[in-house]
Amino acid sequence: MAEKEPAGGKLRADILSVLPRLRRFCEAMCRHAGDGDELMQATVERALARGHLFVPGTRVDSWMFRIAQNIYIDERRRVARRGEHVPVEQIDPLPGVDGRELVEHRSELAAIHRALQSLPADQRATFLLVAVEGQSYREAAEALGIPVGTVMSRLARARSRIAILLAQGEGGEDDR
Amino acid sequence: MTGDIVAEDREERLAAWLDDALSPADRQAFEAEMEADPALAALAVQWRENDRRIREALSGIAQRPLPEATLALLAPPDPVPHADNDNPRRMGRRIAWGLVAFGTLAAASLALFLNIGSGAAVDPLSQALDRTPSLAEASLPDGRRIVPSLTVRAADGRWCREYRSGETLTLACRGGDGRWMTEASGKGQGPESAETIAVAAGGSDAALDPAFQRLGAGDPVDAATETKLIADRWRR
Repeated sequence: MAEKEPAGGKLRADILSVLPRLRRFCEAMCRHAGDGDELMQATVERALARGHLFVPGTRVDSWMFRIAQNIYIDERRRVARRGEHVPVEQIDPLPGVDGRELVEHRSELAAIHRALQSLPADQRATFLLVAVEGQSYREAAEALGIPVGTVMSRLARARSRIAILLAQGEGGEDDR
Repeated sequence: MTGDIVAEDREERLAAWLDDALSPADRQAFEAEMEADPALAALAVQWRENDRRIREALSGIAQRPLPEATLALLAPPDPVPHADNDNPRRMGRRIAWGLVAFGTLAAASLALFLNIGSGAAVDPLSQALDRTPSLAEASLPDGRRIVPSLTVRAADGRWCREYRSGETLTLACRGGDGRWMTEASGKGQGPESAETIAVAAGGSDAALDPAFQRLGAGDPVDAATETKLIADRWRR
C-alpha cells in the first residue's frame, strides 16, 4: 500500500503547513519529545501512503490528528503487551532557552506533562484538540470519530482531573 | 454555535461554555447560573486558567525547528522553483509567503516563547501581536486565540498585521506607543486555523482589501524580516 499512490504536491504542502501543530499534538500525547517526533514521522508516512484516501475539501489537520491518535493507541497497546514502563519524570529538556528559564519552564512543563499523562489517552487527545489546537467540538468529533456529546463529556472529565492535579502541584511539588 | 449539544451535567456545561459550544440561550442560562453560584464561577476561572497554562507550556513545541527526517518526507516529488512569484497562479502572495515562512521556521532556530517577560503596559492583544510570528497561535487572557497571518508596512511607516480570531479577520497597525490599533475587521470565509491560512484560497481575506489599499500597504515581509521585527520589538 505504501507505494500505491504517491501524495500530490498540494497534499504535501498542506501537511507541511500543519506540521508544527501536529508535532505539538504528538509530543503532548507522548511522554518524551523524541517519542512525539517518532509519532509525527509515522503519522506523516502513513498519511503520504494513504494520500488517496484523503477527501479534498476536508480538513487536513483533523485527518492528521486522527491518524496520529490511531498510531499512538496501536503503539501503546503494543507497548502495554511488552510491559514497558517509563517514569513520567523523564521529560526531555527544551533546547534554546537560558538556564533559569529552562528550569522554570521545565518545571512547569513537567507539571503539565504529568497532568496530561494522568488522563486516559482518549481524554488527552480530545482535550489537546479542543483546548490546545482550538478545534471546535464538531471538528474534534470528526477527527476522533466520536459523537459531539462524547467530546464534551471527555473535556469535562479531563478538565476536572487536570484541575485536581495542577492544584496539587502548586501545593509543594519537587520536580527540579 | 452548536445548539444541538445536550449537556448532561454542570461540568459538561461548563466545558461547553469555556469552548463557546453552547447555544446562545444555553450560554445565557449558564452565565446566570454562574452569577448565582460563586463556586461554579470559581471553577470556571480555574479551568480557564489551567487551559491557558497548558497552551502556554506547549506553545514552544510548535515553534521549534522541525526534524529534517520529517521535512525530507514532504519535499516536493519534482523540484520546482520557489521564487516568490513563481507559485501556481491559484496561490496568492500571502500563501506563497506562508510556505516560505515554514521553510524558514524549519531552518532557523526560533526559540520564541509567548510568555516573554511581563509588566508591559500595553493590552494583551498588542503584546500578542508584538510577539507572535505569523501562523503561530497566541492565547489571550480572555480566552480568545489569535493567529497572525502576515505583516506589512503601511505607507505612513507603521507596521501592520493581519490576524484571525475565530472567523474574524482583522488588520491592526502598531502605533508609536506600542499599541496595535484595529484598522479594519471582517468575516473571513475560509477555515479558521493557522494551518489553513498558509494554503487557503485568496478569497477569504478579501474583506480587508480596501483597508490594505487605504493604508498603502506594501507586500508582506518575509519570515526572516518578521522574526527580526519581533526580536527588535518593532523598532525600525
